[in-house]
Amino acid sequence: MQDIIEYLPFLMPLLIIQLILLITALIHVLRHPNYRFGNRVIWIFVVVLIQIVGPIIYFVFGRGEE
Amino acid sequence: MRSYIAFTKKEFHEIWSTYKFFILITVFLLLGMMNPITAKITPQLLDSFMPEGMVIAIAEPTALDSWMQFFSNVPQIGLIVLVIVFSGVMTSEFSRGTLINLLTKGLSRSTVILSKFTMSSAVWTLCYILCFAVTYFYTAYFWSSESINNIGFSVFCLWLFGILLLAIIMLGGVLFKNSYGGLLLTSGLVVVLMLVNIVPNLQNYNPISLASNNMALLTGDVPISDFTGAIVICGVGIIAFITSAIILFKKKQM
Amino acid sequence: MDILNIEHLSKSFGTNNVIDDLSFSVPENSIFGFIGQNGAGKTTTMKMVLGLLKATSGKINVCGEQVTYGQNKTNKYIGYLPDVPEFYGYMKPFEYLKLCGEITGLSENKIKSRSEELLVLVGLNKFNKRIGGFSRGMKQRLGIAQALLNEPRLLICDEPTSALDPVGRKEILDILHKVKGKTTVLFSTHILSDVERICDNIAVLHGGKLALCGTLSEVKSQHKQDGLLVEFASQVDKQQFMTSHSLASLMTNVEVTNTSIIFHTHDIEKTEMAVISAFTETKILPIRLEVLEPTLESLFMEVVK
Repeated sequence: MQDIIEYLPFLMPLLIIQLILLITALIHVLRHPNYRFGNRVIWIFVVVLIQIVGPIIYFVFGRGEE
Repeated sequence: MRSYIAFTKKEFHEIWSTYKFFILITVFLLLGMMNPITAKITPQLLDSFMPEGMVIAIAEPTALDSWMQFFSNVPQIGLIVLVIVFSGVMTSEFSRGTLINLLTKGLSRSTVILSKFTMSSAVWTLCYILCFAVTYFYTAYFWSSESINNIGFSVFCLWLFGILLLAIIMLGGVLFKNSYGGLLLTSGLVVVLMLVNIVPNLQNYNPISLASNNMALLTGDVPISDFTGAIVICGVGIIAFITSAIILFKKKQM
Repeated sequence: MDILNIEHLSKSFGTNNVIDDLSFSVPENSIFGFIGQNGAGKTTTMKMVLGLLKATSGKINVCGEQVTYGQNKTNKYIGYLPDVPEFYGYMKPFEYLKLCGEITGLSENKIKSRSEELLVLVGLNKFNKRIGGFSRGMKQRLGIAQALLNEPRLLICDEPTSALDPVGRKEILDILHKVKGKTTVLFSTHILSDVERICDNIAVLHGGKLALCGTLSEVKSQHKQDGLLVEFASQVDKQQFMTSHSLASLMTNVEVTNTSIIFHTHDIEKTEMAVISAFTETKILPIRLEVLEPTLESLFMEVVK
């Protein structure tokens, strides 16, 4: 418990960043049907299950042209 | 000048709309948080992995450990992400043919290079400052504000190295048709610099020391003056890469 | 006055001569059709006019000024529509025209008024959404709008209609027709019906050389190889008719099909007389007798043979 309180100023922002990433990426996956490779189901899994890295990989490599 | 402002604005619009800005900011924010926290919990982790009864003396982490993480994570993760994200900044325009319209409208080719270089440098600077600020804040939070030697100068060195990489990407974008070319050129040159670093006499002039030797500055093992040569070479390199990118781009048939 | 003047232009990629000693000029206020098969060198020629490609030899003048490769000053007179215009997908039409206007150096007010005017002209004023979602025809229309933004004296369009469906094609041709008078239009194509619809001047490019050049009517009359078609009810009639003495001098240049004969000639009246006297001589009458007009297609096929 002591530890958690000590790390709280760190954990909170981390959690927020993680959530923002997850939500932005998920919305983008759902609204844009075109991907550079892979399909919608794969990207939903990647974005939701792989924390932090998943959404980044989606935006850098998977996001298709408009 | 007006077309430079217009095209630079377009570059910022583009980095924003393609989510690249968002990604870079997030990555560098996370890096900034990772540095102090890794330094803080590494001893505890090691401790918990040790078999029962086995005790090794691990020094209590300090602010210096946090900065050590900063100067290893930013070059190893941050710069790589930066280079990957910006590697297509020139080539995507060629492969899609979006520049043709603007070039026939009288956009000068040097403006294209300079605008893209301005935008990428500005984004890198902002991300880097943010990363530094976050690490600084948490380091101060965990270890109170111990003062560190030469921290400002050391941070500047790494920043300048990042700018050098962006200049190489601009040249790579003009030389190669796809973005992997720029990526290859940048990583190739970094490898060359690392190999050159084996020769002790050249170390003081090698720009890679700006990104690899930062800790020696913090511990005070190396005086600032030792870095002068590398900074000058790095600056000359930046100008040379950008100039040659402009010259080659002007000769390029579209 | 000639708005574009090309003299002895040549271009080779390696050992491949794409353009070979090409010379022609485009008169002011015309719609100039630049015709050729795929790979004839139309795009290459246009890119040289724009200074995007370096000519191997020869001279190009736009509005009396010489074109230089690279930073091309004469581009201020030119609006260019590439074959497949590409835009930044995240921009809206208005934003894109603003960027173009700022690059060309138009004033803030001018950009605004011109953009509105042009988006109405090309029918995109109601589509204020990202270009990424545009159809091919819409992109082509936006392409014309951006090309016309700086009120160019010469509008160069590279196959503006080739990739479009009939409706899209008609829209583009109508727009090009509308801007005639304000600006000279040079457009390349391989669709001959488009040319006949709106062009007054044409040039046919074949194998890097000019095969035909002039006003549409001029070209047609110069190459007037009129034909006379005679069709019979049966093959037997045709065979018998062909043995006629009156026709002996005409039989050198004929096309014979199953039941009909086409006489190619330069003197249509004389041929007609001869044929009619052949009817009386053989006592065979045709079911159809027709004077053939030369078409652009027949001219084109003739020169690219």
